[in-house]
Amino acid sequence: MKWRCWSGLGVAGLILVSSVPATPAAEMGTETPRQLVETYDSLADSILAAKKTEWNLVHTILATTYSHAEVAKREATAKLEAGQDAEAELENLATFVAQIGTEGDAAVAAIRKRLVEGGHHHHAGGEQQGIYDPGFVIVTRDAKKAFLDASKKIARMAKSPDPAALETEWAAVQRQFEALHDGAS
Amino acid sequence: MRPVDPRVAAGIGLVFLAIACGGGAEAPSGGEISPTRTVVAATGFRFVDVASEAGIDRVVHAGRPGKDHLLDSAGTGAAWIDYDRDGWIDAYIVNGWKLEGSRVLERGKNALYRNRGDGTFEDVTDRAGVGGEGHWGGGVAVADYDGDGWPDILVTNFGPNVLYRNRGDGTFENVAPRIGVEVPGWNTGAAFLDADTDGDLDLYIAGYIDHSLEDVLKAERTLDWKGVERVAPGPFGLPGAVDHFFVATGDGVFVEATREAGLQDLGQGFGFTVRAADLDNDGDPDIYVANDSDANYFYRNEGDGTFRDVGLWSGLALDAGGAAQAGMGVAVGDADGDGTLDICVTNFSEDFSTLYRGDGQGFFDDISDSSGVGGATYRSLSWGTVLADLDNDGDQDLVVINGHIYPQVDAHPEFELAYAQPNLLLENTGSARFVDATDRAGPGFGQVRSSRGLAAGDYDNDGDLDLLITHLDEPPSLLRNDSARGSWLTVICEVPPGEGTAIGSRVTLFFGGRVAVRDLASSGAFLSAHDPRLHFGLGQTERVDRLEVRWPDGSRTTLENVAANGFLTVRKGS
Repeated sequence: MKWRCWSGLGVAGLILVSSVPATPAAEMGTETPRQLVETYDSLADSILAAKKTEWNLVHTILATTYSHAEVAKREATAKLEAGQDAEAELENLATFVAQIGTEGDAAVAAIRKRLVEGGHHHHAGGEQQGIYDPGFVIVTRDAKKAFLDASKKIARMAKSPDPAALETEWAAVQRQFEALHDGAS
Repeated sequence: MRPVDPRVAAGIGLVFLAIACGGGAEAPSGGEISPTRTVVAATGFRFVDVASEAGIDRVVHAGRPGKDHLLDSAGTGAAWIDYDRDGWIDAYIVNGWKLEGSRVLERGKNALYRNRGDGTFEDVTDRAGVGGEGHWGGGVAVADYDGDGWPDILVTNFGPNVLYRNRGDGTFENVAPRIGVEVPGWNTGAAFLDADTDGDLDLYIAGYIDHSLEDVLKAERTLDWKGVERVAPGPFGLPGAVDHFFVATGDGVFVEATREAGLQDLGQGFGFTVRAADLDNDGDPDIYVANDSDANYFYRNEGDGTFRDVGLWSGLALDAGGAAQAGMGVAVGDADGDGTLDICVTNFSEDFSTLYRGDGQGFFDDISDSSGVGGATYRSLSWGTVLADLDNDGDQDLVVINGHIYPQVDAHPEFELAYAQPNLLLENTGSARFVDATDRAGPGFGQVRSSRGLAAGDYDNDGDLDLLITHLDEPPSLLRNDSARGSWLTVICEVPPGEGTAIGSRVTLFFGGRVAVRDLASSGAFLSAHDPRLHFGLGQTERVDRLEVRWPDGSRTTLENVAANGFLTVRKGS
């Protein structure tokens, strides 16, 4: 959700507050005014929905990147089987695998940085426990390192192609990617 | 040690050239070419600060005492440049501003100190016209950008950059507005490189934070530090300034080609030091950018002047655990003596400086832990760094320059941090194993300050590397190297005017069964520029078996059986 949407909600809240009628002291209850509670309840729905939306979006980024990796893998394999140079395809594959580990490229990192700077941590508790890097939504630190290591091995194959090793490494990437969904939240 | 007059050595070196270029591989025995000197067999470092007595004494200003904004604590660079080509390298120091609250007390003037050749310097700033134009200075890069044979000075600023073109008569002119490289904003590191190998130098300039002068002057310390102090906020929470890339058109003008070259700074990283080097050993220059708090960029040159960021899978963007660090300074050298380039990147306090070992094909492994660099640097907040053979034993040692950004840490000794910190000298004991030799490196390494810039160079031409260091709110230090040492050879790469550039040249030496490699760059360390003459320590070896220069255009010059202990000028195509 864009921050300007939140700003809009804030403005709505202020309008609401200012519209609460003045009440004689004798008639005041001790409860928080219901209108404010209901507005906050609605806002909570939006906040939680936004967090779920964030998860869905990052999930889509990962799925898209993975599908790109699959294409690059197929193209690399086809070229290797044909005895052709597959350097570009293998480097593309390495890039996609690395970007699964980092939940997107540098442009996504800039957005994540902005969220963290604004105090939003999808897994605040998980970050404190060292499970997630700041702002990461799905990929754990361990998984990130695994994807980065795999990307390096695949990129090395661009200069020294090894079809069997590629299959092994790709199978590991697939397993790691599937494992991401085991801890989905 | 009696200095060697480089004019003598250079002249003799030209004899070498004539033979090497005219006849190929066979070169004469080198005994007659080098000034004689005594090789000291003992070991041990010793550095002495001689800046004051040498006349390098202008205070480098750094904002407010409380460092209310990161600009107050970012510091400035230093450079070695032989601007008058007399064979003695001169010192250039970038300066900042002095503030009190939101009031500007003094706009510090950059300083050019001419080396008299007798161990002292003369302040020629005003005569040369290189005072910085009143801007708040940051970094410096040195290169002959227009190929006229005279080294020029780029100063990156908080504000428009300045490019001082060397007129060759002891004076300079600022051509930045005319040639299109001013880029108002917070500019930090810069590097000249011949990206498209057309013989002209192109230019990469990093940006740090997108802030105005008003932001700086009105800054307040609002960031909670460990729950005990309010300190300057950032860089997290502040908008990053984008980097810029300029291509030389060949007629003395630069045009921005950041997007076309694939150098968009997608992450809007907080860029500091930029180092151009052929990190994948394919013959063209790549670009490495140390980003503070973000993944570092490793832009691989695709061979046609365009680049691809391969930092993530090359191993150079993150540490071994996959974490982004707070990149400040960069050293490029050969830490393990295998003839390929490695990189050290300095980082924030309570994190380690990262030593990446290269395999010569563009892949790097983080060996900070096994090398000893990680443990030695963990407490320090580190900036300038250089891989340099400081005892001439044949391997490159590591210098790490330190100082915290928050003076407020001094009020809390329980955290075992300090604003002023000792610099570190890590001795290479062979194959990239480093031990902390700071305590036995003499009084120069006993200084405790908040230091930033670093430029290594042999200012007294005695065959070892001295260290020029900038500090916050103090004059620089010039650490004269009085270490016991072995043999040496210093190689001067020259390309005739109009025939391309020497920046990007790589020199490889084979001696005594060992190999050593250096590359010529316009910038490095932290916003600084080293001596452009490439220094090699040779241990007890008195003769180099083979010396290879790979020029930026791919051509090579090879010399054999070169005598040690002198300056050797190798001129391309002579």
